[in-house]
This record gives sequence, C-alpha cells and structure tokens, in this order.
Amino acid sequence: MQADFSGNGEGGALSELLELSVPAEPEAIVKVVDAISETLARLEVPEQKRLEVALAVQEALANAVVHGCGNDPSKRVHCRMQSDPGGRIVITVTDPGPGFRPELLSDPKRRENLYASHGRGVYLIRQLMDEVKFERNGNEIRMWKY
Amino acid sequence: MDINVRKRSQVQLIQLRGQLRLGQGVDDFRQTTEEVLGNGDTRIVVNLSEVSMIDSSGIGLLVRLLASTKKQGGNVKLVQPSKFAVQTLRLVGVLNLFEIFDNDDAAVESFV
Repeated sequence: MQADFSGNGEGGALSELLELSVPAEPEAIVKVVDAISETLARLEVPEQKRLEVALAVQEALANAVVHGCGNDPSKRVHCRMQSDPGGRIVITVTDPGPGFRPELLSDPKRRENLYASHGRGVYLIRQLMDEVKFERNGNEIRMWKY
Repeated sequence: MDINVRKRSQVQLIQLRGQLRLGQGVDDFRQTTEEVLGNGDTRIVVNLSEVSMIDSSGIGLLVRLLASTKKQGGNVKLVQPSKFAVQTLRLVGVLNLFEIFDNDDAAVESFV
C-alpha cells in the first residue's frame, strides 16, 4: 500500500509498514512499541536506532494515553509507521484529546525541573528522533528517524 | 516487572528485571519504593542491569525517590544501567544526579 504524503516538506510516496488503533491504556502501548520494534528488526535497522525509535514511540503513546485520552480506555490512540524511498522511518501518533501547545512546555533540564516527576517526554522524543512535528493542535505527533 | 528486594548492611538493594516504563513496570516499582520508604529505609541501591528501557515516567520515579531519600539523609545509587539507559538519563540531564556502580557490592559499600 502506498500513500501520498508530504511530511517534512520534501514530499514523496511513503510505504506503509504498520498501522494500529489501540485502546488508551498502558498495556496497549507495550503491544504497539513491541510491534514497531519487531518491524524495525525485520528491516534490519541497527539496534541503537531501534532502541531510540522504540523509546520515542513509547513517550508519544504515553502522552496520547495520559494527556490526550485521560487514561480512558474507551478512547483510542492511532499509530502509523511508514518509510520513505530513502529508507527514513516516519511514525505518526494521533489521539482524540483537546491537544496542547508544545512550545509552552518547560525545559526539563532547568535546575528547578531536575527532580520533577514528569515533563520529560516530549523533550526526550525531540532528542531521540531526527525531526518532530506537532499537528492538529498537538493531537498528532509526526516524527522521523533518518 | 520482576522486583527483588533484600537488605544488606542497612541498605535496601532493589533488583529490577524488565522495562521501567508507564504501566505495570512503573506501578510495581512505585509500590516497592513506597514500601521501602514507609519502613524508614533511605539508603537504596537500584540494580538496573536487567532493565532494557527506562521511559520518562520511570525517570520521574527514580528522581523523586532520590529527592525523598536525600531529604532524609539517604541516597539512591544505581548499578549497571545499560548503555541506552545511561544515554536516556543523560539526554534529560539527570545522569549526574546519581552515583553509578559496576556491581551491588561496590554500591552497598559506598554507603558505609
């Protein structure tokens, strides 16, 4: 299956690798992350890159479940994994929540935030992936691994 | 998450096996740390040698545990985090908050 998709401004047809819709609960996150890791392994993606993508997806799904869906398992989170002709991985996570403004998130590395119990997920995603974009008022995160 | 807790030389040694991430892993570890702190123990070693992933909720739990123990004169020391776990802790700026050891003995003895 091919999809026309202009992700990072360069355009190009993307190949579908995986598409899952799961209930908004932590147990479902594990299944999605495992499925993505298995797909990356099948594509012979190096281990370090697999680990980085898996953790980024874990964080994106956790945000979707906790903040986007309020831990309500009757709601669903959507995850799509694609690759472009250059072999870059594109992962999109979508939730039905009210969205958020990522630019308002505080820097978790500031001294006053170092001992905080939360607030590191989006920062971590940005560090682990090569490109990250939020769309639909923050309801959708699209991230690239080159 | 498999968790084994034992006491050595007045130090609580917590061995984790699995993934320290949102859900069962973090829930189990939180319950364990609450029990340990509830018993008045603030000198804690967490062995991460068999933890393949730590997500931001796991990191949050570790730093809160560290803050709680330090407030009472204790500490949390880590043993054998994986290369990727070290990278993750470094990325969010908390790696230097922890002392890291190669084995349980060295971590326990560091409290003496």
